[in-house]
Amino acid sequence: MADEIIVEYKGRKYVVKTDRRYTETDEWAKPEENGVRVGITDYAQRELHDIVGVDLPEPGTRVKKGEELAVVESVKATSDVYSPVSGEVVEVNERLYEEPELLNKDPYGEGWIAIIKPDDPSELDELLSPEDYAERIKQGKAGH
Amino acid sequence: MPRIPLLDFYVEKLGAEPGRFGDWEVPMLYTSAIEEHMSVRTSAGFFDVSHMGRVILKGPDVLDLIQKIYTKDLSKVKEGWLSGPTLALNEYARVKDDEMLYKVSDEEWLLVTNALVREKMLSYIKEIASKHDYHVEIRDMTFDYSMIALQGPRSPQILEELGAGWAADMKVLEFRINEEIMGRKVFLISRSGWTGEDGYEIWGEHKEIAGLVEKLVEKGVKPAGIIARDTLRMEMGFVLGGHEYGEDPLKYPCALSLRYGLGAISWKKHGFIGEEALRAYRREGVRWIRVGVKMGKKAARIIPREGAKLVVEDQVVGWVTSGSFSPVLKRGIAQAYIDARYAIFGEPIDVEVRGKLYQAKIVDFPFIRK
Repeated sequence: MADEIIVEYKGRKYVVKTDRRYTETDEWAKPEENGVRVGITDYAQRELHDIVGVDLPEPGTRVKKGEELAVVESVKATSDVYSPVSGEVVEVNERLYEEPELLNKDPYGEGWIAIIKPDDPSELDELLSPEDYAERIKQGKAGH
Repeated sequence: MPRIPLLDFYVEKLGAEPGRFGDWEVPMLYTSAIEEHMSVRTSAGFFDVSHMGRVILKGPDVLDLIQKIYTKDLSKVKEGWLSGPTLALNEYARVKDDEMLYKVSDEEWLLVTNALVREKMLSYIKEIASKHDYHVEIRDMTFDYSMIALQGPRSPQILEELGAGWAADMKVLEFRINEEIMGRKVFLISRSGWTGEDGYEIWGEHKEIAGLVEKLVEKGVKPAGIIARDTLRMEMGFVLGGHEYGEDPLKYPCALSLRYGLGAISWKKHGFIGEEALRAYRREGVRWIRVGVKMGKKAARIIPREGAKLVVEDQVVGWVTSGSFSPVLKRGIAQAYIDARYAIFGEPIDVEVRGKLYQAKIVDFPFIRK
């Protein structure tokens, strides 16, 4: 399928979807009708393993690009998820409270984290392209 | 950097993800720490624990030496049995290490140290031996043998199926030397472990252990990494050096505060290092008590990590030493020190995580009923 790139690093394969953009801290951002949908990448969920909990912002919260958007608890560690854009949180994925494992199972789909209404939609253009993000994984540069 | 001798084998053959544990490179996990954890609780899993320090003590004064260092009375241990865990203290009654001792004969003992203090304990034991003029040869054999822990309720049955029915007859804490399982030479096998489950710890030359591991995997034993090892010890409330205990009296409460249990301290025994300070704490009482903290239903998915504060009525009354997630309870759990006046099992308590207070409960160990 052409809608994803498979990258190999240290004998493991990671998926990078081509329909969205990426941060250097392993979040993805996908523009949609009502805002930018945000989540963590396949690489990020693989690094964290066994995600057991999340702390999500309240809808209406203002977030800034590069600052904490959510917190992900895995057996291994507690990690911040950074916002790829500045704006207002309009929706969060409340299913994650009951089923945090969705972040491991389907990080690009049902494991999405929040939808943010961006202050400046052109901020998205500053993010990494799928090809650039895939290259970072390949070179071992991905990861918090 | 020291590494598990069979690490490449685990990575290439079993898909292990390597990572750091202290200064060691070890298998962190294979598929999922939670799956590995549950396999050990309900069936069987194995860990490579070759990072554990293994030391041989040999000579006419070996009993005097270990009686001097450890808090447990080791004078009545029979040959072929493990004794412990027991504690090595410093003069402030703080814990240097918790260790298992194996009596091979009157003049020969083995001991297993925690990985991160192996070198420190080795030089300490040598120092004590030389100071008291004990005639004991002390040798580090950590890198001579691989060591695996086969853990879980199915463990005896698996060894039986591998033709080692004698292992199923071994008693808890019994060990044997120079055995054979499926044609693989085993230097030492003991019925012991650190998961709260039935199981064995097996030492052997690296290639022999690799061969044995292949047999275990064929039998459906799940390889497990150090993350699962940590969640398993947490559910049981087992302590870990550098978290629940350490030598610095400004950072760690005394050995008595650990509530170590398991007969680790023999009060009838006299003359061990740290005894004076330990008895003073016993006489005068301790300020801190190690307790379990179980997150409440509404905060079930919050994991209080090391350093999180315990709060009662707006006062800080304790701190978390290790935090984890219990796959059995599906809750965040932690070990913590709490001001002894507030150490009331069953009482609610707040835990501060990322600046917010979450409700939890003070509980005794283990967190799960076995």
